[in-house]
Formats: sequence, structure tokens, C-alpha cells
Amino acid sequence: MQLEKFTYDNKIVRNFGLATLIWGIIGMTVGLLIAMQLFKPSMNLGNQYTTFGRIRPLHTNAVIFAFVGNAIFMGVYYSLQRLLKARMFSDVLSKIHFWGWQLIIVSAVITLPLGFTTSHEYAELEWPIDIAITLIWVVFGINMFGTILKRREQHLYVAIWFYIATFVTIAVLHIVNSFELPISFLKSYYVYAGVQDALVQWWYGHNAVAFFLTTPYLGMMYYFLPKMANRPVYSYKLSILHFWSLIFIYIWAGPHHLLYTSLPGWAQSLGVAFSIMLIAPSWGGMINGLLTLRGAWDKVREDVNLKFMVVALTAYGMATFEGPMLSLKQINGVAHFTDWIVAHVHVGALGWNGFLTFGIMYWLIPRIYKTELYSKKMASFHFWIGTLGIIFYAVPMYWAGFTQGLMWKEFTPDGLLKYPNFLTTTLQIIPMHVLRSIGGALYLTGVIVMAFNLGKTMLKAKLVADEPAEAMPLAKNINITDPADQKWHRALERKPMKFMILALIVILIGGMVEMMPTFMIQSNIPTIASVKPYSPLELQGRDLYIREGCVNCHTQTVRPFRSETERYGDYSKAGEFVYDHPFLWGSKRTGPDLHRIGGKYTNAWHFNHMLDPTSMSPGSIMPPYPWLIKQQLDTTTTAIKVRAMQTLGVPYVSGYDVVANTELQAQADSIAKDLQQNNIKVKSNREIIALIAYLQRMGTDIKANKFTIPSNQ
Amino acid sequence: MFKQIKDLAGGEYYLITSLLIFMVFFIIVGVYLIKLNKNYIDQMSQMPINEPQLNEDENIDC
Repeated sequence: MQLEKFTYDNKIVRNFGLATLIWGIIGMTVGLLIAMQLFKPSMNLGNQYTTFGRIRPLHTNAVIFAFVGNAIFMGVYYSLQRLLKARMFSDVLSKIHFWGWQLIIVSAVITLPLGFTTSHEYAELEWPIDIAITLIWVVFGINMFGTILKRREQHLYVAIWFYIATFVTIAVLHIVNSFELPISFLKSYYVYAGVQDALVQWWYGHNAVAFFLTTPYLGMMYYFLPKMANRPVYSYKLSILHFWSLIFIYIWAGPHHLLYTSLPGWAQSLGVAFSIMLIAPSWGGMINGLLTLRGAWDKVREDVNLKFMVVALTAYGMATFEGPMLSLKQINGVAHFTDWIVAHVHVGALGWNGFLTFGIMYWLIPRIYKTELYSKKMASFHFWIGTLGIIFYAVPMYWAGFTQGLMWKEFTPDGLLKYPNFLTTTLQIIPMHVLRSIGGALYLTGVIVMAFNLGKTMLKAKLVADEPAEAMPLAKNINITDPADQKWHRALERKPMKFMILALIVILIGGMVEMMPTFMIQSNIPTIASVKPYSPLELQGRDLYIREGCVNCHTQTVRPFRSETERYGDYSKAGEFVYDHPFLWGSKRTGPDLHRIGGKYTNAWHFNHMLDPTSMSPGSIMPPYPWLIKQQLDTTTTAIKVRAMQTLGVPYVSGYDVVANTELQAQADSIAKDLQQNNIKVKSNREIIALIAYLQRMGTDIKANKFTIPSNQ
Repeated sequence: MFKQIKDLAGGEYYLITSLLIFMVFFIIVGVYLIKLNKNYIDQMSQMPINEPQLNEDENIDC
């Protein structure tokens, strides 16, 4: 038998590594900026392109898809080649993947501040970019499977199973959550509405955490941790159990993001039950990782890479214990919509994803440059300032979350809300937001120090772009006469395409059981006779609400708690959202819920509030929106928007698109006239008029028509 | 006690089916794990640390 000589492509690993560093610093800097906006509104920088609502999605997309995304590809491209004893399938595909992914990120950096957003969290990018993501993801898939097919190693190590599950599940999630009807180059409407849209979005949102932030990182953990500790994983059997149970259970848990909303109760219960079960496989992974270091804890004291890995695994353990706890209805009732969730997410993001990435980079970059790290002291400094940053970030956010969540629910002995003004609860937690920014700044400082350290490491040596290796060809290795090799699972592992299909079936089960009844059984989404489609002006106003990212701070779902019905009004019903393409329930209340805002204040109040929020709510941290008063509403899109809504099943009468602008103008004139009576002179063709129309409509359909609500809502 | 999974106007069918799918799934994975061959497990778990590479400089550390 002849050993085959080949080379590993380290250049693509280095490139993804560089992209991880650059986008990491950019994404976290934007994060720091929006954190400061929450206690100093002037940090919105006085223009529409840098207001919180528009750049908060930029932060989340940058850290998830740019920082973590590039880190995943760096780790996968390094470990896949070595575990399969083969160079990547195609250098051309690797390059297309790299540059395509960077272009997608650049397009996000441009379109999100300009206000082009679908409003689905972590899926904000508009339809042309969605198509580009699909294409580049397919390129990644072909490159990965091509490498698997030309491998020189018979069996697929468990890390590769995680990579395959990541590829196939993200593909399914992305496609299902991107069914949009384009109405122009950068504007579309989701085909789903209301409750169904919410279910799809949080099935996606939750599993994006599972299959973008978790499974690929577990795969990398299973490869890099044994390498760093120079010992095999604690239990390979546990890794198999952990893999199958994780991918099977995770997919069911999405509805825990929608507890106490108008999602059918059985779907909420299902989400809770599977969320609790998730502790087992998640902790299986954490325990397997930590016990891999058994007998090697002395190394942890010396080796900064392992320090990062240990904190990452600990953060993973904490976040995956907390997640199921947060899905318990009683805890969720307090925690949801508060900073508690922000703290939870960041323990995972900063601790698990961030620290695992840093540990891998400090280990990997010197190896592909065949040199030593420029400064171990700096790496150690990064570890400590990063850990301190996480603590300074998470602890104040937990404190803020508990405080605000409890303040919202507190009643006086007379049975009245103790803090009826929402703003009081916001102002109470400002010091915590200041501390959180300090935590973020410490963490970012660590990342900048790492970039400097790794940059110096790269400059002092030369990249081994093509690292020589040798291995036996696969065909001569197979020994299927061994009875153990004939067993079904081992046979399956040798057939990666069949393995992928099995993984696909496993992840489809949960999603289908939850979604099919919600989509196919009418009784799950009962309609309400008095709920009518939006007027053309309200429809335009709603799109401005989407453009400005109001959903990032304001929810539109009143939960059936007395503390909420007292504060906001009647709780939200599923039938109220049937024309909402997309749903705008939101996930965080930095400001109050707006579902019952309609008719609560005058038009003049809204006008003044949007021009200068502090004029109506002294001390408000909401940024001013003066451009809405200056900018003219684009009414050329009205007809096409109405037609698109008709296509999606909204019952506008036939030919309504032709008269829509006439109706729009009439409603706009009446609002402008009303404002004029209150000494506010504004032309009726301004954007603010449409936004006021939408705000005044919200949640009003059932106010005077309560008899139309079906008994089961 | 079981009111969240009973009397759901047809919805309980999905809950009970899911529970059954879940149990069957774990029984299959459990049986598979019990039957796994020890040599295979050892071979697989050594995979990341038994990488034959040329010019591997084990002294690199950081």
C-alpha cells in the first residue's frame, strides 16, 4: 500500500480567522454603541442611520453571522481537513465561500442602517441577501460533502456529525423562515401572518441559536479540546448520545419564546416540555468537555487556551441550565421582555461562543504559521479582562432584569399598579446599563488586545499555506469483513449522504409536529369578525415602524396577566394578528408594549413624542425621530403593497389598489387637520402622518366590539 | 394534573404522538449505544490526537 501525499489548505483557515477578528471588533463596537444609547440618547448620533432600532440588528447580525460565522468556518475548515485526511474538496469553492460570505456581511452593514429589514429577529436581511445566503450556504455544503466523499479516513468523527447537522438544519431553517413575497428590490412581506409567522420566526430564532451558535461549536469543542489537552474525549459514547438527543430535542423548543402569547396553548406546553428535557443533552456535552480535562487540570493553570475552553464550557453549562429554567412559565412570566434575557444570551455569546473562539484562535494561528504566540502575557491579560467583562456585563443585566420584571408586576395594597408609568421602571435600571457598558468595553478591549497579539504573531512568521500531510487512500483501508463494521450505524457513518438524510428527518419531526397543526387546523387561529385589514395609510405607517426598528424596543403582545391588562389594556388575541405580515410582537420591552396604544393618546401627543420624546415623557431614553417630519411618504408603493397583501390573502376588495392612494390621502389630510387644530403645522404627505395613523389603529379593532371575540380566545 | 395534555380538542393527539416519538427515538439510540464495540469507540476517540502530519512540531505551545 502506497501512502498518498497531499496538503492541507491553511490559507482559507487563516482568511476566515482574520475575518473573525475584524468583524468581531466591528460587531462588538456596535454593541457597545447601542449599549450606551440605552442610557445616553445622544449616542444615537442624531441621525436615522445610527439610531438604536436600526443598528441593534446590525450588532446581532454582525456578532452572530460575521464573528461567530467566520469562526465556525475557520474551525470547520481546519478540523475537517485533518479529521478526513484530505484537502478541502475545491479551493475555488473555498474562495467563493469566503468572499461570498464577506459580501453578504457587507450588504448587511449597508442595508440595515438604511432601514431595509424584514423585522424577523436574526433574519432581518431582505430577500436578495437571503438568496445570496442560500447560494453561499450551498457552496459551503458542496465543499464540505465533497471533502467527506474524497476522504482518506473511513469513519466520521463525532465533530463532523455536528458539522453535517449544522449544515442541513441551517439550510432548512433559513429557507422556511425566508418565504417572502418581494414587492421591490429591497422590500418584501412574509407569506405567514400573525401567530403562524411568530411560530415560524421563533422556531427559526431558537434553532439558529441551536444550530449556528451551539452545534458547530460543540463539533469544534470535540476536536480542539482533545488536541489542546492531548487526550481523547472523556466518553465517545456520551458524545453520540449527546449528538442525537441534542439535535432531536432542540428543534421542538422554539415555542418557549412565545409563552403567554396567543400561540395555541398545546404548542406552548410542548415547547416547555422539550426545553426542560434539553438540560440532559446540553449538560452531557458540557460534562464530556470538562471531564476530558480529567487528570490534566494542572495544564489549565499553565495553558491559556485551556483556560478559555474551561470558561467557555462553564458558560455553556450555565446558559443551558438557565434556558430551560426560563422556559418554565412562572419564571418566564417575570423574565421575558426584560434584561434577564439579554444577560442569558450574553452568557452564551460572550462566554461560550466568544471564549471558545478565542481559545481556538490562540491555539490555531501559531500552528498554521509554525511559530509561537507573540505574547503569552497578552493572551493571559485577554483571558482575565474578558472574564471580568462577562461578569460586569451579566451581573448588572440580571439585576436590571429582576428589578424591572418585578416592578412591572408590583401592586399597591389598594390593588393599583405601584409603577403605572413605565418610564419609572426604565430609569430605575439606568445605573445597571452603565455598568453593562463598562463590562462590554472590558470585553472589547480584550478582543482588541487579541487582534494585536495574533497580528504580531502572523507578522513574525510566514503562513504555511499548504501544509504537507500523508495518509493511506480510503479504498485500501476498508475492511468490511470485520463483523463490527457491518453494523447499521457504522455502515451509516461510512455513507455521509444517508447520515445527513437521517439527521434531516430527526430535525424535521419536531418542527412538523408543532407547525402543521397551527397551519392546517383553522381552530388554532380563530378569526375575529371586527378585525379588518389596515387602511393604506396605516399599512405605509406599519412599514415605517418596521423600517425604524421600533420592534427592537416595543412589543405588541399583551400577556394575560393582571399587571399587564391594568397597564396596557385587554390581552392580545390570536385573531387580532391575522393580517399582520409580518408579526411585530417583539421580544424586549425597553419601552412599553404598544398593542393597545391606539386611541390612548392624541395625534398631537404622538407628533410631539416622535419629535422629542422627552417633551412628553421627561427623562425618556427613546431617541427623537425628526426625519419622519421632514421626509415625504413614498406613496408610489401603495398600490403594489395592497396587491401584495391581496396575494397573501388579506381581503381587500378587488380593485382596491387603484383607489388606495385616494383613501390614503383622505386619512392623511384628516390627521394633518387634527394636528393643525392643536397648533402643529405639518404637511399631510409626511412620514409622521402615516406612522401616527398606524399607532392610532393598533389594537383598536376589538375595543368597541368585544362581542365579536370567539369564546375560546 | 394532566390537564395541559388532555381535552385539547384534538391537540392532545400531537402531544401524545410527540412523547411516543421521543421515547422510541431514545430507545433506539440507547440500544445502539449498548451494542457499540469497545475497539471502535477507542479508535474513534483517538482520532483528533492521532493525526499523522508531516513537519508537525510538537514543541509549539502557547
